[in-house]
Amino acid sequence: MWRRSASFILDNRNAAPPQPPAAAKPDTLTLSSAPPPTAAMADALQNPNPNISAYYQTRAAHHGVVTSDWLAQAQAAVGPRSVEGGDGSSSAADSGGVGGGGGGGVGRPFSVIDEFNNWRKQPDLAEAVAAIRALAAVIRNSEATTMMELEIELKKASDSLKAWDTTSISLTAGCDLFMRYVTRTSALEYEEFNSAKSRLIERAEKFGEISQKARRIIAMLSQDFIFDGCTILVHGFSRVVLEVLKTAVQNKKVFRVFCTEGRPDRSGLRLANELAKLDVPVKILIDSAVAYTMDEVDMVLVGADGVVESGGIINLMGTYQIALVAHSMNKPVYVAAESYKFARLYPLDQKDMAPALRPIDFGVPIPSKVEVETSARDYTPPQYLTLLFTDLGVLTPSVVSDELIQLYL
Amino acid sequence: MPDVQALVNEFLFKLKNGEILKIEGSHATARQTAILLRSVISQQRIPHTHQAAALIDAVKAVGEQLVAANPVELAVGNIVRRVLHIIREEDLSLTTVAMAGLNVSPVSDDEGETDQDDHPVLSAAAVAAASRNTLRPPSLQTLLEDLPDSTAIPHTSSSGGDSDGKSKSADKSTRSRKLKHDVIEALNELIGDIDTCHEQIAEQAVEHIHQNEVILTLGSSRTVLEFLCAAKEKKRSFRVFIAEGAPRYQGHLLAKELVARGLQTTLITDSAVFAMISRVNMVIVGAHAVMANGGVIAPVGLNMVALAAQRHAVPFVVLAGSHKLCPLYPHNPEVLLNELRSPSELLDFGEFSDCMDFGSGTGSPLLHVVNPTFDYVPPKLVSLFITDTGGHNPSYVYRLIADYYSNDDLVLQRKPAPTN
Repeated sequence: MWRRSASFILDNRNAAPPQPPAAAKPDTLTLSSAPPPTAAMADALQNPNPNISAYYQTRAAHHGVVTSDWLAQAQAAVGPRSVEGGDGSSSAADSGGVGGGGGGGVGRPFSVIDEFNNWRKQPDLAEAVAAIRALAAVIRNSEATTMMELEIELKKASDSLKAWDTTSISLTAGCDLFMRYVTRTSALEYEEFNSAKSRLIERAEKFGEISQKARRIIAMLSQDFIFDGCTILVHGFSRVVLEVLKTAVQNKKVFRVFCTEGRPDRSGLRLANELAKLDVPVKILIDSAVAYTMDEVDMVLVGADGVVESGGIINLMGTYQIALVAHSMNKPVYVAAESYKFARLYPLDQKDMAPALRPIDFGVPIPSKVEVETSARDYTPPQYLTLLFTDLGVLTPSVVSDELIQLYL
Repeated sequence: MPDVQALVNEFLFKLKNGEILKIEGSHATARQTAILLRSVISQQRIPHTHQAAALIDAVKAVGEQLVAANPVELAVGNIVRRVLHIIREEDLSLTTVAMAGLNVSPVSDDEGETDQDDHPVLSAAAVAAASRNTLRPPSLQTLLEDLPDSTAIPHTSSSGGDSDGKSKSADKSTRSRKLKHDVIEALNELIGDIDTCHEQIAEQAVEHIHQNEVILTLGSSRTVLEFLCAAKEKKRSFRVFIAEGAPRYQGHLLAKELVARGLQTTLITDSAVFAMISRVNMVIVGAHAVMANGGVIAPVGLNMVALAAQRHAVPFVVLAGSHKLCPLYPHNPEVLLNELRSPSELLDFGEFSDCMDFGSGTGSPLLHVVNPTFDYVPPKLVSLFITDTGGHNPSYVYRLIADYYSNDDLVLQRKPAPTN
């Protein structure tokens, strides 16, 4: 509460001394001084850049336009451990944890974080799925002999994953889902340990399919809402939204898309590229041009990084703004989100979440006295959303908390 | 079955004709659909295995035809889907009871929904509760339990049969009779509900209409009539403004009825609604259908009344029996869920024959007449829904839908037989 008062001068004075350089000095743009970890203990692996949201960095890597100096910084941050050409090299899908844990680190103890990072590099894989696959690798490599031991190991691994990146909602949700599944499924108590273990591993592997299946279900459900001749406004790059639009093209619908640029990672440009490949008429808008063009728009379609208990969503910075404009002009706002993105959070305002910061490159040096708002995401309250398309069905925002209870039951 | 087919054809003819809609309304349509489906089910011969699937198939076959005959009459589709949901529920409760003593693999249900039922002994109450839960949308368990895509209802009966071979045949034949019997009983209940929906809604009138209030309504609806009369009988004195509801002027009929029951009535034109709305305490109207998002398909003119009510902060109350609740989302209701009626209701052909002459030289005339039957009222304009189960918020409609309908029945087209 003190943060929001006008006494920011006092706050700055109080906060300045212990503040680490990375968060407040965008002109230098060098990353945190913490050295890249060398010999990593399995559970003590630190996120090299705790002030920068790894989740949003990854999204930028997958979907944004990558500039060369960003790439250099990313390499510096990840360190020599990174597997070169990491995209898609996890074709060694079932080869187990140790082999995929790090190309250079032979003989290092198994690390769930490494495993997770490995999976995360695949651009098509959702965070929650990567988390669950990483946890499956934990099970595979575990030497526990009883379910309790296994559960304790899993809990430790899940906690370390969550602590590694506190900003990623789907990561937390994926870990929670899997943990609850393991602890709540009474079937596992009756079965013999080894078969239970193999069943858990099999289920976790299958969860990856669920991600694809969920996207297809969502695409199918949303088809009726896209009519011929409509104009859709999209924000940022969402794989689910892309799937929806691809399916609409396959169903021979005629529509056009307005893409916002999505600063600072400019993920909208990537989406525009993809749509252009599908021969969909695309128009790119700078983020400020949304209100200007809103009267031509028939509907807004966005993805979500997380769906919260109130029925609102957490998504790329700018979504709240677009929803406000759409609401004031009576345009429907549709959200496409898979069910594992539902999180047990209830933000009361924009600052009520763990901060997820992302450095912004303005291209010109910014004086050090000037602060930059580097938050990567915002919260859109449920009253500005019309419908959510999920693999559980088409939901109005008020249904979400009901479904959440069911999901985490 | 030639007998049933004749009934179906007759009903189809009535639907296509539109007579039912014009004369009797969605209540009668719903009732007749339910009765028709009851005869279809009772006359359907079902095999010993996959009984529920056979019943569902038969009902879907008839349902498809009925819905295709008149897509705007949503009550038909609603009742078909209610019946399908009843069949699934009854089948599920029968199989869970049967499974209870057998201690076997989990009860599988429709695609995407399952429940790990490992408790060897289930009390009847638990079974009922389980059956309620398993037909709800998938939970955590189902996300992580991968399920075969084909409908698992045949799966259920066969797994039940496989496990205990001894009592298989005896068990099955009693079960087959029982399923049909249960379904028909439930259907009778449904028909009873449809019949009494007006009384049940009218019972709640006293809670909503208070002394010396002014109520506004438009056109004529039997539900509204009974609602107002019930309040009158409980000795509430109130006044009613009736907007006449052009072009059919059904408001005139309602005014006559209300005056006959001793209510102080004022008749106004539709255009005067905005002028009078500030003197009104509550707007009470009927509906043609209530959609899954809480939006209402109502007689034309009600969108305007709803907007006026919102502008002046007057509660807008919609009365609807549960057979009007439709699980579909309105994608383009003004066009797809509307019916355009004859221009003769607006214009006199004699006077306007020169303007509307389609046969003359240039082809298309300059005067077009649009006479829609329905209006779409978005959910944010509705304050309260009063159904036979009580009063609900528009955002609560999804719960009612989950209670009455299954997700699999939203699309009535039958899929080709699944490969096992």
